[in-house]
Amino acid sequence: MNQRGQNMQRIKKLIIKEEFIEAFKQLQQFPLPINDFIVQQKCARLFSKIPKESLGLKPIKIGIVGTSTMEHFANVFYFWMAKEGFDVTLYLTEFNTLDQSILNPESKLYEFCPDIVWFFTNYRDVRMDIPFGCPAEVLDEYIQEAVSRYVSLWCALQRYSSAFIIQNNADMPLTRIFGNYEGSVSWGRSNLMRLFNLKLSQSIVPGVAVFDLDYISSLYGKRLWFESKYWYHSKHSFALDAVGLVAFRGARLVSAIKGQSKKCIVVDLDNTLWGGVIGDDGLEGIRLGHGADGEAFVDFQKYLLDLKNRGIILAVCSKNEEETAKLPFLKHPDTQIVLDDIAVFVANWDNKADNIREIAAVLNIGLDSIVFIDDNPVERALVRNMLPSVSVPELSSDPVRYIQDVEEHCFFETISYSIEDQSRSEMYRVDVQRKELQHKCTDISTFLQGLSMEAVVGECDQMNLSRISQLINKSNQFHLTTTRYTETQLTVMMKDSNVICRYFKLKDCFGDNGLISVIILRKANPLDLVVDTWVMSCRVFARGMEDFVHNEIVSIAKTLCCSRIIGRYVATKKNAVVRDLYSKLGYALIKSDNGETESEWVYRIHDVLDYKTTFIKKEEVF
Amino acid sequence: MEEEKRKQIKDRLNRVFQEVFDDDSIQIFDEMNSDDIEEWDSLIHITLVVSVEKEFCIELNASEVGKLENVAAMIDIIMSR
Repeated sequence: MNQRGQNMQRIKKLIIKEEFIEAFKQLQQFPLPINDFIVQQKCARLFSKIPKESLGLKPIKIGIVGTSTMEHFANVFYFWMAKEGFDVTLYLTEFNTLDQSILNPESKLYEFCPDIVWFFTNYRDVRMDIPFGCPAEVLDEYIQEAVSRYVSLWCALQRYSSAFIIQNNADMPLTRIFGNYEGSVSWGRSNLMRLFNLKLSQSIVPGVAVFDLDYISSLYGKRLWFESKYWYHSKHSFALDAVGLVAFRGARLVSAIKGQSKKCIVVDLDNTLWGGVIGDDGLEGIRLGHGADGEAFVDFQKYLLDLKNRGIILAVCSKNEEETAKLPFLKHPDTQIVLDDIAVFVANWDNKADNIREIAAVLNIGLDSIVFIDDNPVERALVRNMLPSVSVPELSSDPVRYIQDVEEHCFFETISYSIEDQSRSEMYRVDVQRKELQHKCTDISTFLQGLSMEAVVGECDQMNLSRISQLINKSNQFHLTTTRYTETQLTVMMKDSNVICRYFKLKDCFGDNGLISVIILRKANPLDLVVDTWVMSCRVFARGMEDFVHNEIVSIAKTLCCSRIIGRYVATKKNAVVRDLYSKLGYALIKSDNGETESEWVYRIHDVLDYKTTFIKKEEVF
Repeated sequence: MEEEKRKQIKDRLNRVFQEVFDDDSIQIFDEMNSDDIEEWDSLIHITLVVSVEKEFCIELNASEVGKLENVAAMIDIIMSR
């Protein structure tokens, strides 16, 4: 029996012995997304034998509205979703009932109350009967019409449900009636499909994300992807052997929708960012820029720099003398990355697991937000072992493959991009500087005063919606009720006259922190103002912002003539930092349920005494 | 010779069935069809066919996939390749 067969037998035995957590841990290690249909089904079958309650997964409901047979995909999807930490319950609409399921508010799809609805369509669903030689102006109308069909389905769905929508684009087929010529005319089918996909991505509204099926079909290999036997036999729209790949990438997208993507990349230096060892080879000896691998290292640096520029935090963890390690970033002519690109620079002789823990602490992010890149398999194994929640991709021995090695894991999927993201790495770097100042100041008041902080309060609006949504959905630590709202839900709340939504921006002498807090208050009755949501970025803890926001809440309560502010705290594994917040602000405990995991607090409004002093100056934006 | 070949194929096919249905006690016979195994539905039929193709390195065409109603039909097709 081969290695895989042995692994499976071992996992089977663990399941029989009811050692479910260990069985799942081992099961996660063996299949790759690219493994074939048989391996995926075996894995799915083994996984189905593990009771989900034993794994501590987060429940989520996904409705798949497909225009092809999705059952075999569904089996496999359960496993890949579990790998992301989700226990998914799927509802598959009946074959080819796309319109009925969406347009009828009483359909089983809506009864199911999905968190996410996945429109699993394919190129065959794009009906564009465009005559050959069609002129450009008319072309656009046809394409618009084809895309409008999907847009109206999204709108219909959003009327009846607050589910997030995943929409497949068209996996461009291989047949070309005009052969290569199709690439030279915009009415050629190849270009039509490209134009359709482009128009689709230009038409998305908040609450919708495109799943790039076309990209995946190319990645897999279109020749194999369009294996038509199973379309004709049983209406499977793509090759069965690609099921793992689609399931993995779909699960990664769902993870991104739930705010679980990685935030930070920690890199080693020697033989990772350049060829050779800086301590031994010196600036002239390391390979960066010239020669085959010198160029590969330049491209890898460029890749990391691009990631940093889009908002992924870049940190260094190297076994080196700090001065020596910094040299290439300061002096090498071909370096792409400079010191200012690096939020945290750790170069010492301690073990890397401890260093990574330190980096996570300095940045105030969870270990599970980190990806660690190191060319040395021993270091990789050490970190995997000691810090299992850090992702450590395998790296090929040839640096020309490094980018691919990182890319194929889809660590950094996202469904939004805001101006805040661009400067994120810079913000973290500047924050490290603040912490250094704090260490130097002898007392906290001097430090806070020295920061010259200014905050802006604004009414939540469309312009800031993306960042507001990001903050609500990705924050775990300073989040009193861990509410998760889609942009659609937020827009509805913003229009509700009984709901007050405010955002806060904070800047200081070091830089602008951007939008770092959001509150959603509800006027429950004439006298009570309820704090539905209070979220704040961990970057601005313990600087008085908590008090500043409290002052604003009190202000709003007074304007609305409310005499009480009701706050709730729902405990999670990650938000212990705010457990005593209401108590510290002067709220009284009304009750606590569920073995103290949920508590309700009340603040009775007085007069002048309600406002707390902070070192933060207020600027109004209304 | 033919009988020997048929028996070998039957043994390998039996192993495929045992793996697909996750049941080491399965013993296939010529007339065996979906009525004989509870789990054998149209969904698992696909997994079975793909496993057979992989095990015997053969490719069935679209209409053949639908015609594999019983074990004997499967063995016949495998032998014909």
